[in-house]
Amino acid sequence: MSHTTMPAAVPPSSTRPARTARQISGARHGQLLLWSATVLLLATLLLQVLEASGITSMGLVSWRPLLFAYILWAGALCAAQILIRGEDGQRAVFVLPAVLFTVAMVVFPTVFGFYIAFTDWNLSAAAGRQFNGLNNLRTLFADVYFWNALLNMVYYVLAVLVQYAVAFGLALLLNAEIKARKFFRVAFLLPLMLSPVAVSWMIGKSLMEYRFGPAATLARHLGWDNPAFFSTPWLARTSIMAMDAWVSIPFMMILLLAGLQALPSEIKEAARVDGASGWQSFKEITFPLMLPVSMTVIILRIIFQLKLADIVINVTAGGPGGATDTVSSFIFREYRDRSNVGYGTMLAEFYLVIIIIFVALILKGASRWMQRDN
Amino acid sequence: MTIIAQTYEEPGSLWSRRPQFLTGSLLIYAALVFWAFVSLFPIYWTVTTSFKTAVNVTQGHLIPFVDFMPDWKGWRSLGLSPDTIFAQSTVRDEFIRRFFNSIAASAGASFLAVIIGSLAAYGLSRFSYKFLWMKNKDISFFFLSQLILPPVVLAMPFLVLYKHLMLLDTLTGLVLVYTLMVLPIVIWIMRDQFDTIPVELEQAALVDGCSIWGAFLRIVLPIALPGMVAAFILSVILCWNEYFFAALLTSSNAKTLPVMVASQTGSQGINWWSMAAIATAAIMPLILVGIFLERYIVKGLTAGAVK
Amino acid sequence: MKVSDFERMMAIGLSRRAVLKTGASLGAVAAASGALASFGEAFAQDVSLRSQILQVPGVGKGSPTDADWQKVGEMCLEATKKSVTQGEFAGVELSFMGLNNQNLHNVLFRGFLKPWEDYTGAKISWIDLAQADYNPRLQQAIATGTVDFDLLEMGAPFEGDVCGKGLASEMPDWVRAQIDMDDYVDYLKAPVGTWDGKTYRISVDGDCHNFNYRTDYFTDADLAKAWKDEGHEGEWGVPKTWQKVQEVTKFLKGKTVGGIDAIGYLDAPKAWGGFGFYFLGSRATAYAKHPDDKAWLFDTDTMKPRINNPAWVRAIQDVIDALPSESGDQLNADPGTTAFQQFLAGTGSMVSWWGDVGAGARTSDSSVVGDTIGFDILPGSDDVYNSKTGQWDKLASGPNHAPNMAYLGWGVYVMARVDSDEKKKKAAWSAAAHLGGKDLALWTAAYPSGFQCYRKSQFDIKEWVSAGYDEAFITSYLNSQSNSYNHPNAAIEPRIPGIFQYYSVAEDELAKVFAGHATAQAGADAIAAAWDKITDQLGREEQIALYKASLGA
Repeated sequence: MSHTTMPAAVPPSSTRPARTARQISGARHGQLLLWSATVLLLATLLLQVLEASGITSMGLVSWRPLLFAYILWAGALCAAQILIRGEDGQRAVFVLPAVLFTVAMVVFPTVFGFYIAFTDWNLSAAAGRQFNGLNNLRTLFADVYFWNALLNMVYYVLAVLVQYAVAFGLALLLNAEIKARKFFRVAFLLPLMLSPVAVSWMIGKSLMEYRFGPAATLARHLGWDNPAFFSTPWLARTSIMAMDAWVSIPFMMILLLAGLQALPSEIKEAARVDGASGWQSFKEITFPLMLPVSMTVIILRIIFQLKLADIVINVTAGGPGGATDTVSSFIFREYRDRSNVGYGTMLAEFYLVIIIIFVALILKGASRWMQRDN
Repeated sequence: MTIIAQTYEEPGSLWSRRPQFLTGSLLIYAALVFWAFVSLFPIYWTVTTSFKTAVNVTQGHLIPFVDFMPDWKGWRSLGLSPDTIFAQSTVRDEFIRRFFNSIAASAGASFLAVIIGSLAAYGLSRFSYKFLWMKNKDISFFFLSQLILPPVVLAMPFLVLYKHLMLLDTLTGLVLVYTLMVLPIVIWIMRDQFDTIPVELEQAALVDGCSIWGAFLRIVLPIALPGMVAAFILSVILCWNEYFFAALLTSSNAKTLPVMVASQTGSQGINWWSMAAIATAAIMPLILVGIFLERYIVKGLTAGAVK
Repeated sequence: MKVSDFERMMAIGLSRRAVLKTGASLGAVAAASGALASFGEAFAQDVSLRSQILQVPGVGKGSPTDADWQKVGEMCLEATKKSVTQGEFAGVELSFMGLNNQNLHNVLFRGFLKPWEDYTGAKISWIDLAQADYNPRLQQAIATGTVDFDLLEMGAPFEGDVCGKGLASEMPDWVRAQIDMDDYVDYLKAPVGTWDGKTYRISVDGDCHNFNYRTDYFTDADLAKAWKDEGHEGEWGVPKTWQKVQEVTKFLKGKTVGGIDAIGYLDAPKAWGGFGFYFLGSRATAYAKHPDDKAWLFDTDTMKPRINNPAWVRAIQDVIDALPSESGDQLNADPGTTAFQQFLAGTGSMVSWWGDVGAGARTSDSSVVGDTIGFDILPGSDDVYNSKTGQWDKLASGPNHAPNMAYLGWGVYVMARVDSDEKKKKAAWSAAAHLGGKDLALWTAAYPSGFQCYRKSQFDIKEWVSAGYDEAFITSYLNSQSNSYNHPNAAIEPRIPGIFQYYSVAEDELAKVFAGHATAQAGADAIAAAWDKITDQLGREEQIALYKASLGA
């Protein structure tokens, strides 16, 4: 993608002149700071482990001291980077807080989750949690519900392309010379504000209700006698997709609109002077220029789409006969309704691996495609 | 949006041109009106339903005062109707409490995410990092991958983690987990932002003797600020409706609105008017954000670009 | 005193106490509500209190609101005042976890307990859960040791998970006396609410499915004529057996009543977080629960599922057969839809549900059917399957009835974590006892609350009639419940850990069957296999022991 091909603003460190004495003394302080913070962190960890295993009893009621020690260590690490590595350190400190924060938040859940995935853990089971090796994985490969849901996800992800096309169209409309632009912009943005629960109930179960819902009434007027939006597989799937699209199109639209407005106006002028038709100028100028932001939008949306669950759970519960089931809604049932935590976690970890491979492939493909295009 | 609108709209530009242009613009307006209807009708339906009674709902009445007489029933159940607004109401107390918790949690998380996210985005946009095998692209992907895991599997691990850190049922805990949730989005949006800001500006500052952080704070930050505001607003919208972690990690101190909205459903059927009233009340702040701050979103996201 | 007056007084800043004193001149309300403590004693057993409660806000005046709940709570505070002095629990903080269901449950409790808080000085914080979150939240709290509540609203099916793990506090004797436990209907007495012989539960609800039908359908002359003309056996009337329900449902297809398309029984094929399985259960118990056998869901000694025996398969097949005659969107209907969006809104003529349908018919804002509802115990069956012989038996006594005691009702439990603090323990039990009070129960059964009758004293038809209920209507309603509760062949739900896991997985398989992806037998076999797997995972020996205990075998 474009941003990664951009040259770094500053030459790499090896070409820089030798360090000054001040930098060297700074580096020493930095080392000292980092080491003492690390020792403090490890000491706290040791104390907490001892306390938790019951060897000591200092009255530590929680693991909070470790949290504080970590925050201290993170601060020291950032400061030490600057002291030790100078400008390189300064650069590193831009990205360090986010990395340290993310790692701190996910390291335990990831490790613990990975362990759970290989256990037989039903919360109601008398025996509690037990390691069971690859059994969960074996169950997964034989689980028709999972594969059915995964197939549905293919459809749902394909629907993102339609959403993208609509969102792009809307962004173009809003970018055109129109009156009451502000009104339309706000109006188009509003669906984003509704929570999935409200959407499920106020739209899925009320507006599209078979008897009194205005959507059903309209459908009857248009000559459809039996407007049951959720009773046949494809219809139900399409209805779910439509509701999901309604909420998520504004998010895509607003990012695309921003992208459109950021396009240099000379380019459009140039196209106009060349006498290119609207479609031509779109195809050859606007669309290629919009590719980077389009990729961001599509990737973010696909990731959200892969987690689609709320609307499905509330409106169809996966029915009819599993036609609208998503992997997430299936995991919800397995993990929450059936308290089957071990297997549910394995499902999610496996799904995670599939998604990571899938998204990485898209990113790779997209960056190749765009390079060739350029 | 007035400024941009003025630059774009030459008076009468649409109507004074060729006839085919007229049909074209008619089509454009037809499309605009159609989509405005699609966008607004469900919201209209929700808001009007909050003033309906059972009969109005089951007969699908649409237009207040014409089809049906508005009734305060839905709002009364929240203690927010004119006749109950001054009386004591346990439901309203609950609603208000959750309302402010929701504001604190989503604003706090968005603020934190925008700060550390923008820093990271700037770094990823400007410098080449290498950490073990990971380069910029991989670091971006690392952040993005945090979005992927279905939250449901984080339930037990987070419950255990938060229990040991005594973060259960605290706003801090909620803010942290929401920050984690929106951080990748902020990073991706802000990285595109910084990419559009010309590098020459900082290079000039560096030549003038600014440090890297100095150049960032003095030159880049003011340009990127509108973009950060936009990212902040989007984050607030995404956090506001978060339900899963709110239901899992809070109990009585840090509880937020979405759980209350979800609770309107259950085994006793549904009172559409209460559901509609609470859904309306819950999205009201966001709608106000949409109406009054929408311009900052688009403007903010385009601020870095050279026009 | 009218609610509106009450509210207006509150609005202009009078304290509750002052209001009630002012109200003394208005008569019994103030006296009965116990504001004048010296008279409280004399009025405690006064029937006028019970009838006064029933006037808040009054039958036919729409759904009660927060002010009504607070008022009822205040009026029922007498029992608390006897055991607790004013301000006794000052400084005590309790947290209460329960459902925040559709403005009921916790929302109601908040209103009821507000006067209790004012009087005792204790402070309650609330943990509200949506229905879908209830089971996972409870299970996860138990598994990770994050029980952060002192009081818990819970259904009896979860007792295995909570009481079995020693998390609940045993009921003190003074509470037993205050709430008059002897008044409970028989099936809610021990062993329900107890574990290993200790009592843990204050009931606030009793549960059974009853049969709700539209009286206008079954007195309709045109339909009666058509029924005869088409050569059906017997008179046109309310079906008493599932065989008849099927016949009537198919018969009604294509007919109209009052200009609206007639629909017979309303099935709920869509999954509903495990709760949907109860509705197949209601169709199946008459086939599957033999009077000579206590078990109907599993074999007693082995926990071998009975779900794929001919009785259950017949019930599943009944649903498949009936669906084409039901509403066009029936496949996406869950029980909430059938009861509230269809039946109470005027679609369909027969539905199995808990007492909420009847209680809501007249007092809920969502009902438009009002006077035209009748009630009965669940239909029976001409024959019943005998698991021991593998034969269908015809009983000499006529059709076999087996009312489905689905869910066994909500109760309030106090957690063992308060036991270390005597003051807190007393406060927690006092709050629970207030909610489980005898007089309060009358009100919760009469108005939309999510709770139905669970005490013998609630079946006094005179009280209901004087509250404004139509005598024929309320007699039919209450009889359908008491006849179910007291039925000798009632199908009582096993209180074994993880029971909702069994239901949930069954719903998944049934969804496939109803969508036409599998036959009834194949679907039932798949459920049986999944159930065996769950039993093994939970520990078969333990499950068998608990199952036997819950059957009283």
